[in-house]
Amino acid sequence: MIAVYVCAGIAVYAAIRVIAERNTMRKLPFLNVVSFAVTGIIALLLPHPITIAAAAAYFVGSTLESNAIASTWAGGIRKP
Amino acid sequence: MNDIVMIASAILILAGMTAAIINRDPFDKLISLSVLIAGVFPFIVDRGFLDVAIATALIAPLSTIFTLMVCRRVQL
Repeated sequence: MIAVYVCAGIAVYAAIRVIAERNTMRKLPFLNVVSFAVTGIIALLLPHPITIAAAAAYFVGSTLESNAIASTWAGGIRKP
Repeated sequence: MNDIVMIASAILILAGMTAAIINRDPFDKLISLSVLIAGVFPFIVDRGFLDVAIATALIAPLSTIFTLMVCRRVQL
């Protein structure tokens, strides 16, 4: 049960870092950390065989979301 | 659900909500909204609605991507 507590602590710490950070580009790695910690919470919370599918779906979706935000914020290739 | 995990998820939801209200930049608002959605998921999984959790995890990034298509920077 200590693993869920560690994941919860990491999630809260990374969320506080996301809120306190001023630069937008520095927010995105901590957003990824929040996603990893919540994936760990989901996988460890319920002893059921489909839980790992839910955790994998959330992991794929949150990584896709953060990468979409990062690539849109970067603005793509600069044309000369 | 344990009290500590529930309190942590509630902290995630409240912090994401507050930051989404306060921030002015649309990208910061989207990042805060992502934190809020991350806080909602343990409450869905704890009740045993795993199919709802899978569907929400696959649909929520699509809404973010459709919102990102609006606030994209136009290259001249």
